[in-house]
Amino acid sequence: MFNGIKGVLYRELNVYKKRARKQILASSLSPLLFLIAFGWGFGDKVVAGGMPYITFLIPGLITMSSLNQSYGIAQEINITRFYFHLFDEYLIAPITYMEIVLGEVLYGMFKGLLSTLLIFVYAVLFKVQLILSPLFFAAIIIHTFLFASLGTTMAMIVRDHGSQATVNTFVITPMIFLCGTFFPVDKLPYLFKLIVYVLPLTYSTKVIRASLTGGDVNLLYFSLMILFAGLFFCTAYFAVKRVEA
Amino acid sequence: MKEILKVKGLVRKFGDKTAVAGVDFSIQEGEFVGLLGPNGAGKTTTIRMLTGLLKPTEGEVFYYGKDFSRHAKEAKGFIGVVHQYSNLDRDLTAYENLYLHCILHGIPKEERNSRIEESLEFAGLAEHRDRQVKTFSGGMKRRLVIVRALLHEPKILFLDEPTVGLDPQIRRSLWDLIVKVNQLKSMAILLTTHYIEEAERLCQRVMIINRGKIISSGSPEELKKDLGRYVLEVFHEDHIEERFYNTREEALEELKKCTLSSRIREVTLEDVFLKLTGRRINV
Ligand SMILES: Nc1ncnc2c1ncn2[C@@H]1O[C@H](COP(=O)(O)OP(=O)(O)OP(=O)(O)O)[C@@H](O)[C@H]1O
Ligand SMILES: [Mg+2]
Repeated sequence: MFNGIKGVLYRELNVYKKRARKQILASSLSPLLFLIAFGWGFGDKVVAGGMPYITFLIPGLITMSSLNQSYGIAQEINITRFYFHLFDEYLIAPITYMEIVLGEVLYGMFKGLLSTLLIFVYAVLFKVQLILSPLFFAAIIIHTFLFASLGTTMAMIVRDHGSQATVNTFVITPMIFLCGTFFPVDKLPYLFKLIVYVLPLTYSTKVIRASLTGGDVNLLYFSLMILFAGLFFCTAYFAVKRVEA
Repeated sequence: MKEILKVKGLVRKFGDKTAVAGVDFSIQEGEFVGLLGPNGAGKTTTIRMLTGLLKPTEGEVFYYGKDFSRHAKEAKGFIGVVHQYSNLDRDLTAYENLYLHCILHGIPKEERNSRIEESLEFAGLAEHRDRQVKTFSGGMKRRLVIVRALLHEPKILFLDEPTVGLDPQIRRSLWDLIVKVNQLKSMAILLTTHYIEEAERLCQRVMIINRGKIISSGSPEELKKDLGRYVLEVFHEDHIEERFYNTREEALEELKKCTLSSRIREVTLEDVFLKLTGRRINV
């Protein structure tokens, strides 16, 4: 029944295993730099959203880092699909498109959650107190699901490597910088606020930050996360269904 | 004998280019069929439509009488494919590539190991089982792709130029292997190849495709008979002229009249192929 999911995961995790050390090392560097520069550099005096900046920053790094990892499967899928034709092996197997999508999305979530774990290690090292509630776990799962689905969608509709880089430059990077990961979005000018509030990262950052720092979680934002996640999963499904190897 | 595959009016267009222009044929259980045609004739496109990698623009495909587009999952269970290009996972080992195939095709866990070992043995890759595929030579990859396609014991196997780029020894041993599965497991095979003499030796029936249309079909013997049993080659200064005759006597008769140097030989399937698809110099 779940042969497709198992197969895709078997493939992805086996390849990941071989690159794990390099990958983890690479993905652990940039959050550390942010922590040193903005956490230590700003010291305790800078306050954002009513808390010391470093406490404000850590949840932002969690959403940023896990987004990068979960969404990052787009590039991997793109290479395996266009250069190595691996998707053909999935498409000729007696499995459904849904299983392929689920397999890839689960892999993206796995990567995203792994990087979340890493930031928790940093939180301990930098002596930042965080609250782990069920709501946080629900939120991070939805967050990684959302961006893994978006990554899968992109991998399927984007034609090649170059366009992939373009999407990253014009959508993903601005989103990471603007959506409240490094500063509270309510300080933004009106126009930017408009932009920021159509981007899903804004909501996951708000929800995840609130749940980790003991603030009130806005249930509307939480519902919007679920909505975005559902939407992108559908686009991923239809993108895979439409694909001709 | 049961009909395993039936194709009706298959068409595939890429933009305004028609790659496959209405193809009809059927394949019986255990039959060994060749699909021959020049570059760009539409062989690969046809195979991709028959295996679910491309959607036909028009036409229908049936496996055991069931519409492929509606029973794809079921049909894919008894289809095996070897593509023209290698689609192995370079980062996985030989063993892992086969293991992935086992999972995707729902081969029970307890059978996987023995089947994989057997396949690796078969392909002569047993000692390379734990090497990453990116370190393999072209021939090793080719053999691995073929045994992978056989892992789930398909009822019909599509081979798109499986022996291209292989040395004669390996080509022979691959054919031995393929003939063996064809006969022992009565697996139907649809083969494309540019080695016409291979097709002549192996296939019970060949179909010749040109510009997206099947222009001739029959056993190699039948096709050759249609052209004439013997060919008289006349060596002109700038080209070789070929004349076809049904009997050796007729050919000899003509040979005597010839002033230019010339010779008689038996017709091959390649003659049929070239006659039907035309000799193209400037493609
Ligand atoms: N994805 C595509 N987009 C546009 N045209 C294509 C595409 N795939 C194939 N074609 C065209 O369709 C025609 C048939 O191609 P196909 O690959 O089926 O030929 P073939 O018989 O397999 O040739 P070969 O012997 O070279 O492998 C060719 O003219 C090719 O250029
Ligand atoms: Mg081809």
